[in-house]
Amino acid sequence: MNDMKVRVKSLTKKFGDLLVLDDISFDVKKGQFLCVVGPTGCGKTTFLNCITRLYEPTSGEILVDGEPVDLRKHNVSYIFQEYSTMPWLTVEENVAFGLRIKKKPEAEIKESVDEVIEMVGLQKFRNYYPSQLSASMLQRVVIARAFATKPDILLMDEPYGQLDIELRFKLEDELIGLWKKLGTTIIFITHNIEEAVYISEDILILTNKPTTIKQMMANPLSRPRVVTEKRFIEVREQVTELIKWW
Amino acid sequence: MMRKILKNEWTVKIGSAVIALAAFCMLWQAVTVFTGMGDFLPGPAETFAEFFRRFVKPYGKAVLPMHMWSSLRRILIGYTVASAVAIVLGIVMGTYRIADAIVMPLFNIIRPIPPVAWIPLAILWFGIGDASKYFLVFLATFLSVLQNAYAGARSADPVLVGAARMLGANDGFIFRTITLPCAVPYIFSGLQNGLTAAWGQVVASEMIRSSAGVGWIIIRGMDNNDILQELVGILTIGIIGFILAASMRGVEAKLCRWTTRGK
Repeated sequence: MNDMKVRVKSLTKKFGDLLVLDDISFDVKKGQFLCVVGPTGCGKTTFLNCITRLYEPTSGEILVDGEPVDLRKHNVSYIFQEYSTMPWLTVEENVAFGLRIKKKPEAEIKESVDEVIEMVGLQKFRNYYPSQLSASMLQRVVIARAFATKPDILLMDEPYGQLDIELRFKLEDELIGLWKKLGTTIIFITHNIEEAVYISEDILILTNKPTTIKQMMANPLSRPRVVTEKRFIEVREQVTELIKWW
Repeated sequence: MMRKILKNEWTVKIGSAVIALAAFCMLWQAVTVFTGMGDFLPGPAETFAEFFRRFVKPYGKAVLPMHMWSSLRRILIGYTVASAVAIVLGIVMGTYRIADAIVMPLFNIIRPIPPVAWIPLAILWFGIGDASKYFLVFLATFLSVLQNAYAGARSADPVLVGAARMLGANDGFIFRTITLPCAVPYIFSGLQNGLTAAWGQVVASEMIRSSAGVGWIIIRGMDNNDILQELVGILTIGIIGFILAASMRGVEAKLCRWTTRGK
């Protein structure tokens, strides 16, 4: 029980008469890297928005460390599909942004920023503005900003959806490295099954709307993973079969 | 060598401006020399010479710099007060729906009225002295800056606001760190437009009733059929307007380094 970071209990979300999430229950362990996959439009983002209280659940509850989720109390970071760097702040200031919200002392901010900027390889670009950076660098800045706050839970909503395949692979490896090093609990939403199999420890497969849980599947692959290996392809096909709604 | 020169942005900018100005002056000179307009239109050399001569030789009771100061003072007072009020009100309207709902209908009625239409009322309310001119400059600046500050405050990207909220930011923090920076480029656009409107308004009001100022120089030139004096007035407006706009762009470049305009 103490190992449990997030507990989702009978989560239901309706928009008017439209039932989006239908009685969803599952647990996320501390330090778990969970990927949520499902058909397009099945309500994956709605689910994340319920966790962050952007949407109030119609019924059910979401507990973090055994208490109802509260963004002021629980350290939750959210990485959106869109690049959410502040255009008027440099890379360094962007990374420090979350720490300033949390009113951390300047010395701690500097230390955390230096550490995370180095981890994502942006040392040379720390004084650049977002308009001077490439797409992958922008997303790295956002990831660095999220990790700098040392979040209890990191929510990622298709963060690499807009990147080409080479950059995606690179950033996925970087993310796995950061997760291993910091042990953050990550809930990663994607519609890309290969991505889910490559990065996750567990995969939560959702059905079409009204969304329920099709299966919570432990990823059987050890690391490092190679997308062209037979076993990887088998697991990917297994997830694909589970997700099929047609 | 030529490629190296063309690569320097400032060299290209200044070089192009000098070439354009020289071409304009040559055309102006050609018109005065080769057409009948030369009978009543002084050439550029004569106009520039008169412009500098008037730094020591007065128009009426004051030399040209004093007239410049009269107009500038009217602008600076009206413009500064109007900008401050409009920026605050525009941001409040853009941030709070209730303020928007109260002020916007009134603003939408006043906005289409050209500021010159207020001249008779301004004289009636504030007399023929400087107070009416301050009011008219205030009005012209206010309308332009308010509209832009309002648009700027509403331009805050919801993704950025959402990102800050997820990190635990409260409304005050979001206002200071997202709404205001988003609004700054819009405010500068409004300030630039407001400056142009303020100049137009001060000249118009000086033409109607004043004893000093650049507008007065032009209208007195017209009364005396002195086209050279009118041209000196027009040239003065152009030069001061250029300096003010360039200064504003300099401040904007410092404050908005992240934008394309700020680069």
